[in-house]
Amino acid sequence: MKAIASIPVGTFRRVLTALSAAAAASVLALHSPAHGATPAPLPADPAGTVVTLPAASPHWVWVNDFVFPHMTDGQARLIDGDSGRFLGMLSTGFGFTRIVLGKDGSVIFSPETYFSRGTRGTRTDVVSLYDPVKLSAVGEIVIPPKRASNMPMMADSELTDDGRFLLIYNFTPAQSVTVVDAHSRTLVGEIETAGCALDFPTGPRSFFSICGDGTLLNVHLDDTGHATTRERTARVFDVLSDPATEKGVRLGNTWYFVTYSGVLYPVEITQKGLILGKRWSLINPADQAEKWRPGGLQQLAVHTGLNRLYSIMHRGGPETHKDPGKEVWVYDLARHSRIQRIAMKNDSGAIQVSRDAKPLLFSIFIESTTLDVYDATSGAYLRSVENVGTTPTIMVVP
Amino acid sequence: MKWLDSLTENSTRAIAKRTSRRGFLGSLGIFLVGASRLPLLPVARGQAAEKPGAAPKAAAHSDKSPADNSQDPTSCEYWRHCAIDGYLCGCCGGSQNSCPPGTEQSAVTWVGTCHNPADGRDYVVSYNDCCGKSTCGRCLCNRNERDTPLYVPFESNDYNWCSGSSKANIPYHCSTARIVGVAK
Amino acid sequence: MPNLSRRWHWVGLLGVVLAAGWRAASGFEPQTNYMLQCMGCHTPDGSGEPGRVPSIKETLAPFASSPDGRRFLIQVPGASQSTLSDAELAGLLNWMIQNLSVPKPAHFMPFTGAEVTGLRRTPVVDVQGTRRRLLQSLHLGRAISRASLSSPN
Repeated sequence: MKAIASIPVGTFRRVLTALSAAAAASVLALHSPAHGATPAPLPADPAGTVVTLPAASPHWVWVNDFVFPHMTDGQARLIDGDSGRFLGMLSTGFGFTRIVLGKDGSVIFSPETYFSRGTRGTRTDVVSLYDPVKLSAVGEIVIPPKRASNMPMMADSELTDDGRFLLIYNFTPAQSVTVVDAHSRTLVGEIETAGCALDFPTGPRSFFSICGDGTLLNVHLDDTGHATTRERTARVFDVLSDPATEKGVRLGNTWYFVTYSGVLYPVEITQKGLILGKRWSLINPADQAEKWRPGGLQQLAVHTGLNRLYSIMHRGGPETHKDPGKEVWVYDLARHSRIQRIAMKNDSGAIQVSRDAKPLLFSIFIESTTLDVYDATSGAYLRSVENVGTTPTIMVVP
Repeated sequence: MKWLDSLTENSTRAIAKRTSRRGFLGSLGIFLVGASRLPLLPVARGQAAEKPGAAPKAAAHSDKSPADNSQDPTSCEYWRHCAIDGYLCGCCGGSQNSCPPGTEQSAVTWVGTCHNPADGRDYVVSYNDCCGKSTCGRCLCNRNERDTPLYVPFESNDYNWCSGSSKANIPYHCSTARIVGVAK
Repeated sequence: MPNLSRRWHWVGLLGVVLAAGWRAASGFEPQTNYMLQCMGCHTPDGSGEPGRVPSIKETLAPFASSPDGRRFLIQVPGASQSTLSDAELAGLLNWMIQNLSVPKPAHFMPFTGAEVTGLRRTPVVDVQGTRRRLLQSLHLGRAISRASLSSPN
């Protein structure tokens, strides 16, 4: 008693008050809430939960990003064009160009380069295989460590038309194409394509490369993926005065290429071989006088159902064929005429159009981290998605 | 890419817009000083080529004094940089003709010709890359009016030329601008 | 600028003959042309890059001594697709033989513009195979092991 008596009365009262308040609070907490009282605590989240992708939508878009300031950290990043949601990504190594979506939707192929110590050491090139729903690595195929390291192009790697063979362009500086059997997931071999670059599929067992003299190298494969014939066509492109860019797009049996000045070269796949169709300019004389010309890194897109060609356009002199533009011009491929000018919200350096019946038009620019989305039929601006990459380059749609 | 701009000296987006082309490394809009104002002797190319020793090209190509920055190796307007496309090794611990410490010089490269206003000669300039470390990130400079697509490799800026060399088949770090001879 | 008033329809099938000499002259001396068109890959003395770019020092003169070899020197894509006139390509090949060859040939038959014109329009497609066969036929065994490209898988 003597101990209690020695505590000052004021302190005792404060302690009692605090204890009473705590007791009251805990009494309240133990009871179910009524009329605005504190709800029950949230349950703990289970550990190890990993999202898998929902059913694929044709309005998804893969933004390929070689992350130029940190090129060992290449990435492919998936955006839902309708919701604007960032769905996930793949980490894809050094000097990354693009992923290639397997045609049956069961796998994603990604030609990649790795050094054993990040920025030095032994170089290994692989085609990584990714599960398209889990976005996890499920395997790899080692390929010759020669894949071209360049400004990303769609034609750096493509599947043959039936999805059986994956083609990868090599530059050491000798030029060749590596062939991978996409079904058995094995390396077939390498086809020398001396003097010619990239790979443009033309059928289940054929592709062409573009050669430095403006001819095409037409390559046929057998069912094992080995080359049976390699033949040069006559000259198609005018390399000296108005070269076609490498940024061709395919619609049906035609590859469309555009030159620095805006002339469209249709290369048609026929039974007789590759034929240059009628060339026409995307720029009428009045617009030529205003110095309009195509530009960009992924400057063309097509939509099969609408039979339309889309091209990024800017005003600039010669040698501006890689400049971005603030407009996308749309052409009716049957009538060879421009039907629409879409004003872009921001500089556009790369465009892509989804393949469905209500297509979206996607636009990015390597100096920007924003993806802009438009209605590809009306040209109406729909939405923007931020932080889609560091140096976004070219886009792939399902 | 504002954050990247702030990391790089003397870079502005306005300067980037004046640059006439974008090559492999030149698309990022982070430039030192921009447009090609110096008299440029193009890589020989058919009708477009001009024979060296012909009438001075300075008047046709330049609208400012050729002495401005043309002798400064850390400037994008340095006379040798008429066809460069990359980070300047002079800003990365090397110089216009030497690689920074610990990098490897790629022997395989692409080559241009540039006019030196100081002595009036046209020189063949080899843009050997220095390789083996991640990109230097300083002094990105891109100037070239004769770029060709990937299928004409020897005039194409769009290749990573580090990968063309057996010794330097490793990541790109920066670019030099080596004189290899007089263009005559 | 393309003439938009004319309808172009150009059938690009095999066998269509190219107009001869469609490239204009660069105006440079052969050594400068070597620097601009070849040196970037073949390196200043022609040594190339082991396993990537073959050395041309040992093979220039021997190739120039046979019809098949001369055809190869003109038709290999690096030569045929260079942006030089036919006469300049001939001059460049002659300069290379005289200045890069190891050992230097005592004599060789110089290339002419006409010879280049006749052969240049058909670039070699099977470069590695053609070169290998040439090396074998010219009994250049040691040159094969030193100078060969890595072969495809």
